[in-house]
Parts: sequence; C-alpha cells; structure tokens
Amino acid sequence: MSSLSTSDLASLDDTSKKEIATFLEGENSKQKVQMSIHQFTNTCFKKCVGSVNNPDLSSQEEQCLANCVNRFLDTNIRIVNGLQNTR
Amino acid sequence: MGLSSIFGGGAPSQQKDAASSAKTSSNPIAIELKNQIAQELAVANATELVNKISENCFEKCLTSPYTSRNDPCIDQCLAKYMRSWNVISKAYISRIQNASASGEI
Repeated sequence: MSSLSTSDLASLDDTSKKEIATFLEGENSKQKVQMSIHQFTNTCFKKCVGSVNNPDLSSQEEQCLANCVNRFLDTNIRIVNGLQNTR
Repeated sequence: MGLSSIFGGGAPSQQKDAASSAKTSSNPIAIELKNQIAQELAVANATELVNKISENCFEKCLTSPYTSRNDPCIDQCLAKYMRSWNVISKAYISRIQNASASGEI
C-alpha cells in the first residue's frame, strides 16, 4: 500500500475534498451499524447459544438471537423515552 | 450487510462508491485516500470480530484450571458465532429499515 504524504493531501481540490467528506460520512454511519452488530452479537450469543457441540444454529437459537436484538432495541428506546420524560 | 463486508470484500455499496468515484472525480489521490480508509476500517472490524469470538469461545470451550485445549469445540464455536453474526445483522438491519419506512427515525 503506497502511503499518502501531507503534500499529496494539501493538493486535493475542492471537488475531491467534498467527495471525501461524503465518503467519510457514509463510512462513518456504516461503521456505527457494524459496531452495534458486534455488540449485539456479543451480548446475544452469550444469552442464546448454549452448547457449541455443532457448528449450526438450532432454530430456537436463531429465533432467540433475533428476539434478543429486537428486545434490546425496545429497551434502548424505552430508556431514552424514560430519560426524556424525567427532564 | 454481509459478514464479508467487514473484511473489505464485495460490499455492494463500496463497489458502487468505487465505480461512481471513478466517474466523477477520478483524482488518484482521492481514490487512494478512500481505499486506505476503507482498508483500515476493514482491519478494525476484523480485529473486533477476532477479539469477540476469542473471548466468547474461550468462555464456552475452556474451563479452569485450563490444563487441556479443546480445538474441536473452538472450531464449532467459531462457525456458530459467525452464523449468529449474520442472524443478528439481518434482524438489526430489517429493524432499521422498518423504522425508517414508518418514519420513526
């Protein structure tokens, strides 16, 4: 991977700067979603997956994982609303 | 968003970005910068995944006083974790899509 120097970056025209700003915005929100998925998988795997005797998920485990994400998000929304109401 | 996207491989949106940037600016420095950013994000995601899987599978497969290893369990746990990642990803993204379609977010 060739690395960019400071002078390379300084030479960027406005169009390219704008393009990179848009790119960063998009990558940033994608990354937020990715990090949430990492966190949810970590939490819900602990709660839903019992034995690791085989590599496949049982249908109960799969259902539990999906429910776990949805209940976590419900909880998150309720907490935010609850805090807003106490202000 | 599939698991492959975190390794920087074949996320449809990234391919589209690359194609559209080639059309609009095609400034080689801008393209290089974007590639480097995407590459670093892919590494960060892969590292996060490796750490989380190690933590979870260590927990599930090994017990104190850690005298022996349990490689078959680790391998199955790894496969199971990746499948869980995909299930969670699907559930979360469909929830986001439903919320945005109904105007909640």
